[in-house]
Amino acid sequence: MKRLWRSMPLRLALMLVVLFGTVSLLSLAASYAFTRAAFEQSIRDDLAQDLAGFRAAPSARAVAALVQAESKGTDPDRLVLSYVTRTDQIFGNGAVGRDDEGFHIISLEEGRAELKGEYLALSARLYGGRLTIARSRAEIEALQPVFLNILWISLLPTVLIALSGGLILARRSQRHVEVIRGALERMTGGDLGARVVTGRRWSDDLLRIGTTVNGMAGAQERSVMALRQVSSDIAHDLKTPVQRVSLRLEALAEAVEDGQAAELVAQTRDEVDEISAVFQSLLQLAQVENGALKEQFAPVNLAQLCQTMVEVYEPTASQRNQTVMYTGPDEVSVQGEKNLLGQLVANLIENALRHTDEAAQISVAIVQTPNEIILSVTDDGPGIPKSEFDRVTQRLYRLDRSRNTPGNGLGLSLVDGVARLHGAKMELNDADPGLRVIIKFAT
Amino acid sequence: MLHGVRWHAERVILDLMKLLVIEDDATTGAYIARGLREEGHVVDLMDDGRAGLLAATGGGYDVLIVDRMLPHVDGLTLVKTLRGAGSTTPVLFLTAMGSVEDRIGGLNAGGDDYLVKPFAFGELSARVSALGRRPQVLEQETELQAGDLNLDLLTRKVTRDGQELDLLPREFSLLEFLLRRKGRVQTRTMLLEGVWDLSFDPMTNVVETHISRLRAKVDKPFPSELIKTVRGAGYRIDG
Repeated sequence: MKRLWRSMPLRLALMLVVLFGTVSLLSLAASYAFTRAAFEQSIRDDLAQDLAGFRAAPSARAVAALVQAESKGTDPDRLVLSYVTRTDQIFGNGAVGRDDEGFHIISLEEGRAELKGEYLALSARLYGGRLTIARSRAEIEALQPVFLNILWISLLPTVLIALSGGLILARRSQRHVEVIRGALERMTGGDLGARVVTGRRWSDDLLRIGTTVNGMAGAQERSVMALRQVSSDIAHDLKTPVQRVSLRLEALAEAVEDGQAAELVAQTRDEVDEISAVFQSLLQLAQVENGALKEQFAPVNLAQLCQTMVEVYEPTASQRNQTVMYTGPDEVSVQGEKNLLGQLVANLIENALRHTDEAAQISVAIVQTPNEIILSVTDDGPGIPKSEFDRVTQRLYRLDRSRNTPGNGLGLSLVDGVARLHGAKMELNDADPGLRVIIKFAT
Repeated sequence: MLHGVRWHAERVILDLMKLLVIEDDATTGAYIARGLREEGHVVDLMDDGRAGLLAATGGGYDVLIVDRMLPHVDGLTLVKTLRGAGSTTPVLFLTAMGSVEDRIGGLNAGGDDYLVKPFAFGELSARVSALGRRPQVLEQETELQAGDLNLDLLTRKVTRDGQELDLLPREFSLLEFLLRRKGRVQTRTMLLEGVWDLSFDPMTNVVETHISRLRAKVDKPFPSELIKTVRGAGYRIDG
């Protein structure tokens, strides 16, 4: 829902609603002001006309009679007529008084209560007396609720329609964006065949993005295919001569007597083995990174694999007084390729054995949490500076101080590649002292 | 008929086989063929897929050694075609790629084993003899023996020269694996696969350390050495 809230169509709809609402409010407010002013003017005109009528009376007595007659049966809440003669006699249905608080209109009917509400009054001297005509402004005040009703009736449906429309559009475009995102994610995960499947109801801009993404994916797939072809060609073309060298060296080893020549042959054979090992690792890495192996995935007991690996490496470790131990459950199932996972564990253990001193302790552990399986290999050696964490997974990268230890700098790259293939994440931690490599499998 | 059977029996005893090598690189092919002939096998060499397929369908071979990349008909297609035609002759693939995916592809096509280039001849030889002898499983065997060494599969007791040896379970398995394949070289990868059920490329000499531990118990206290190292190939226990 939060993501939906932040989606573009919904934001646009909201902005439009706010804009439309503001404009409607402004125009309603303006027409309210105009109507109000017009009403007030018409009341003023009425008052002036009324006053003119009374002025036509010939004497004070006539005015008083007229006022008395007119006001009889006139509701003072609506119209107040009042004539105060020179001798302070009051005629009409009300009287206007004044005190510190301002003017008051008092009803002359029984109770003589003060009249509430606002009035517009016109007062004039007439034959020595004072004639006051006041008309109630209630009609003007009544405009306010009317305009408020108009506001609700016109604005509310607009806002609702615009909002739900925006929500529907947002949902739809979110679905489509999700399709694009999913395809991109599959591509990132190594599925080169992933494409955006567009529909007829897609909006033009998303359709264009989808098509472009597909074009890009196609180009990428073609270039990866080409690269793969090239690397397999190179592998074949270079491995054949290396094969010849290796076989000739074998023949040579049999031909030479023991001694300096035999020593040289043995060293050369070791070098050739090294070359082919690097080849092998690079090819394996390339194949792991292309992701096609995912089709071969099956449940693998990672715990058993770790236990066997620890057992395999135990004698090697003990040669330098090092120890390798496994702690964790006996049964942990991970969806994956057994040989690759084995290579991952082997590389981590070898890495730890190689980069630690005598009597180092290496611990392989599995911890299972509700949504993760955490495999870790920890050593108590010199560790890796934090600044180098990112770089050790780069191909052929080696720390300066490791230049003279065996290894080709591909071990951790392969671990990282295998982890990614399995949807797992590799993390490096400072074990203080030592290095901890963590592989987190999502379950 | 009788003659044929006897001849076949003789071949098994001597571990000699009729082999077909299909490899387009002349140098590699020649080396392999020469090496295998030196071991006493009868070897035919073909340098392209089509000729190789024709020769293989002619039959009579105990093991085929097939390169993955061949002119005209590639190795995978060749083996698929053979299997489609009902041939069950064991096939060892030679491949320059040798990744897991490649291996699965080869095995799915009907290959029985594979070897990644560059390989040592000893490794090839060991795998070829393993393939040629594959069906030989002696179920009724309860005791394995080599020289003065005895391994009892039921009591799991190992004695040499009448003296009982104290082996760890995995050392016992390792010894058993070598004894069951007496006289044939077992490579490091074969041992990792057979004893630990693991298939990976160790950078360090893990198998050697296990062998040397086993030797410390089986060979060191005795005057003669039973577990032999075959340089560039692996280990072997002789009869």
